[in-house]
Amino acid sequence: MKDETHPGQTKIVCEDITKIFIQKGKQRVHVLDHISLDVKENEFVVILGPGQSGKSTLLRIIAGLETPTEGRVLLDGREVEGPGPDRGLVFQGYMLFAWKTVMGNVEMGPKLRGVPKNERREIAAHYIHLVGLDGFENHYPHQLSGGMKQRVGIARAYANNPQVMLLDEPFGQLDAQTRYFMEKETARIWETEKRTILFVTNNIDEAIYLADRIVTMVGKLPGRMDVVYNVDLPRPREHTDMAFLKLRHEITEASELTL
Amino acid sequence: MVDIANEIQQQVRERKPLTPAAMLKNRWFLYGVSLMFFFVVWDSSARMFASGLPRPHEVVLQLWRMLFDPLAGKSLLGHVWASTQRILIGFTIATLVAVPLGLMMALNRYVNAIVKPLFDLLKPMPPLAWISIAILWFGIGETSKVFIIIIGTFVPCLLDAYNGVRLVEPELYDVVRMLGGNRRDEIVQVCFPAAFPAIFAGLQIALSIAWSCVLAAELVSARSGLGFIIILGMNLSRPAMIVGGMVVIALVSWGMSQLVSVLERFVCPWKREIDSP
Amino acid sequence: MAYEQVKVKTPLILRLLPVLSVLAFFGAWQMVVDREIVPSTMLASPIQIFQLFLVKWTEVNPDGALLSQHIWTSVQEAFAGYLLALLVGIPLGLAMGWFVVVEGLGRPIFEMIRPIPPVAWIPLVIFWFGIGISGKIFIIWIGGIVPCVINSYEGVRMTNPTLVQMARTYGATDWQIFKQICIPSALPMVFGALQIALALCWTNLVAAELLAADRGLGFLITMGRKLALPDMVLLGMIMIGLTGVVIGIIINYFEKKLLAGIRR
Repeated sequence: MKDETHPGQTKIVCEDITKIFIQKGKQRVHVLDHISLDVKENEFVVILGPGQSGKSTLLRIIAGLETPTEGRVLLDGREVEGPGPDRGLVFQGYMLFAWKTVMGNVEMGPKLRGVPKNERREIAAHYIHLVGLDGFENHYPHQLSGGMKQRVGIARAYANNPQVMLLDEPFGQLDAQTRYFMEKETARIWETEKRTILFVTNNIDEAIYLADRIVTMVGKLPGRMDVVYNVDLPRPREHTDMAFLKLRHEITEASELTL
Repeated sequence: MVDIANEIQQQVRERKPLTPAAMLKNRWFLYGVSLMFFFVVWDSSARMFASGLPRPHEVVLQLWRMLFDPLAGKSLLGHVWASTQRILIGFTIATLVAVPLGLMMALNRYVNAIVKPLFDLLKPMPPLAWISIAILWFGIGETSKVFIIIIGTFVPCLLDAYNGVRLVEPELYDVVRMLGGNRRDEIVQVCFPAAFPAIFAGLQIALSIAWSCVLAAELVSARSGLGFIIILGMNLSRPAMIVGGMVVIALVSWGMSQLVSVLERFVCPWKREIDSP
Repeated sequence: MAYEQVKVKTPLILRLLPVLSVLAFFGAWQMVVDREIVPSTMLASPIQIFQLFLVKWTEVNPDGALLSQHIWTSVQEAFAGYLLALLVGIPLGLAMGWFVVVEGLGRPIFEMIRPIPPVAWIPLVIFWFGIGISGKIFIIWIGGIVPCVINSYEGVRMTNPTLVQMARTYGATDWQIFKQICIPSALPMVFGALQIALALCWTNLVAAELLAADRGLGFLITMGRKLALPDMVLLGMIMIGLTGVVIGIIINYFEKKLLAGIRR
């Protein structure tokens, strides 16, 4: 069943990553400790961990925004040497360009890569439609609610047609209702446009709802990988499903995460 | 889009019944009372100190006369233009140099290391303190006045451009890099637009300083301009002329700052509704 | 261990450049005067200014007062205007922020007077007060009061409405809410005004003394110009800058002490 959705070709390889930050020029912080992780093509992997466990740093290293102190990241067998349009990143704080409309934000990726105007408008319109923001093309970010802003963030990342989507606690700032709704939307979008997805969160329900595989991290620096869970529940999933709750119980018991 | 509709907040205006107490607390009513009170006090105190303070209608008459009777070869509008022109020239030169320099200081730490200490040395000197040296250097003509305005407006323009760039959310650069942009894209797509509001805030401050500078320079030595009108009023012992000049100064400087606001709204449409509650 | 202290050095060149830049500035200045590229009636060299600085502590001529007297006069005027601006501006701003009636009555007048630069008051003030100290204090006051009012007003306006509502559910009166909630929460903004107003007062002092004075640093500059003595003009400018910086540091110190006392 699982092997049909992703034929098993490895997309991302994290080899023994260690990261040490220098903070404010005088404090050395050991953030990640020997992390190894393989992600298969079109697989939905969720990295689950409490705050201060280095999970966002891991995502930023895979994005190429940080360089690992030790180890390396391979994307399709080639070492990642910096950020690039083959990976799309969605930020926790949305990070929209306040001076651009929804359309301007979404078409930014193609624009930077030199795609002609008509074409990139078409691409952007497609993804704006995909995230359900038709009619809001000419709104500025400050006119949108939090959930809508993050839709723009997702559409902007998608518009570059990346092979890998990296989402860094994308719904962390949303209220519970909107969050639940956005999780459903994420699952829907992923079904329509299959991508390899690495999703960072601190919310167990979100992790189980979305993931093919959950990687939990230990809740103290330096961050270490804890347990890997395969989630074989059929989609679309229900939060009240017995199997869902059983897995939730199992993860809660095993990790320091409490909810 | 039913799903999204509930994400949009709706605002409903509350309608309150009209009572005498509410009337008394009504903002516009109080504004009216305040203005009437102001002019009545002005007028009655002007009648008491006959020579020191003109009555409001005398000021209006004086302004009306100055509109048509030239003073030192220029009508009132001519003097307004003389001051405005000095500000425009000085302001434009200062902005054209200071804003790019401020942006460069924020973007390149070598430029910053060279310029910042000199800037910090000169910054504590109030711009008006430069008037005398400007007169020693350039005489009492137009050059010295424009020079003062440049000195005065340079600081806020540069500082705000600098801070505007420094305070940009660094993750926005990450966005550009993730989307495939290079350093140039970071600067063009993020630095500049993000710094615009701060630059405009600097322009507003610079504008009010420019008015102080031009007036001070005109008070010290000039044959035209609004500063000249009020100092002439002082020398001729004509308070109506002084107060009239002050009224015009207030109107023109207020008008110019409104113009900058309009320009800002035009250049930064995304900022609309953010800071106006 | 996740945390560990380390030291990272900034590149040598970045630490040297500021020093070099300042040295080059003064070197070029000195040279321009020594070589007489600029006539000595227009510019004095740093060394000449420093010499005059030393002399002026004991020499009254040609401007009629010692340097210390000039400084003292200016500081007195600036502080009188500054304190008056605080005393009037802060209560007014606070009250305008909370009481609708005060805002309704005060705002139009404030908004009419605000766009007039303090410099523009000078002729009227000389006409009223002559060139004595009261006129200068008035000009400094009217410039300094604007940021005091605005910041106090904004500070009260930014009070968390939930706190106010909470107080209302406890049955607090308008006056109690104003005293117990609005004023404390406006304090940071009010303290911000202290520095802004001080800078403005110091600037306006120069303007006030430029036209009407017989003593003070602004007067020193004006005399220097009238006597065509560039070293005196520049000394006056530098002393104004320096004194301003020193006063700023002192105010900043007291502000921190006060704030620390309040937060405790």
